[in-house]
Amino acid sequence: MISCKEATDFITKKEESKLSLWQCFQLWKHLAVCTFCRLFAKQNNILAKNTPHLHKYIEDSLSAAEKQSMVEVLSGLH
Amino acid sequence: MSSQLDADKWVNEYGDMLYRFALPRVNDKEVAKDLVQETFLAAWRNYDNYKGEISEKNWLFTILKNKIIDYYRKASTRLTESLSGADDGDSFFDEDSHWAKRAYPQDWNIDYNQPIERKEFYEVLNKCRQKLKDIQNAVFTMKYLDGLDSEQICKELNLTASNYWVLIHRAKLQLRSCLEKNWFTS
Repeated sequence: MISCKEATDFITKKEESKLSLWQCFQLWKHLAVCTFCRLFAKQNNILAKNTPHLHKYIEDSLSAAEKQSMVEVLSGLH
Repeated sequence: MSSQLDADKWVNEYGDMLYRFALPRVNDKEVAKDLVQETFLAAWRNYDNYKGEISEKNWLFTILKNKIIDYYRKASTRLTESLSGADDGDSFFDEDSHWAKRAYPQDWNIDYNQPIERKEFYEVLNKCRQKLKDIQNAVFTMKYLDGLDSEQICKELNLTASNYWVLIHRAKLQLRSCLEKNWFTS
């Protein structure tokens, strides 16, 4: 039986289809009996599915002073 | 005088757009601002080479993307120290490599199939990302924000595949645990 450390590593690799058939089977066997790694797998999935949308929630902008200073730096070159 | 006008136009038209692209990728306001400034400077200095084959906006984004990769590469030169930290993933497991009791994942009591469309979730995620080492964050960001696969990331950052898997595995262990403490069970 693989350890939880290996199982969580396999879960990450499985996302990119980087597991051999034998490793898939080992992971499947481990998940069948390990509640914690099953939770890790679901939560890892949450991370993988939601992170790509992160940029939608970025509303920050440069301050007027920061913009002004950029303009000055550029203008100073000529 | 015309250069004054162009500088104004560039900064006002593209500044925020570039900044919002850089910010989630480097996850540091000062660094993001500096990268935007450097992008404008590089574009300004090389304007004679701009052939107009792509739009000015896309040209600026291309420069910014290269600056971000350079920033990530600097982090990857400090790889050895990133991989040697003892508190870096091993602390989640006991000596038999099973979950340590203090690190047992808890049920978040959510519908795991539903997307989390909450601004607060992303704020916590960003705070948690700040605790990652720069190189872990680079790998995580390239994977999930830029949608690159492990081969592409290894090539860009000059990593071996085994280093890559260690970095992404540890990044996920830490983020999962941090999200649990600060979002799902708070």
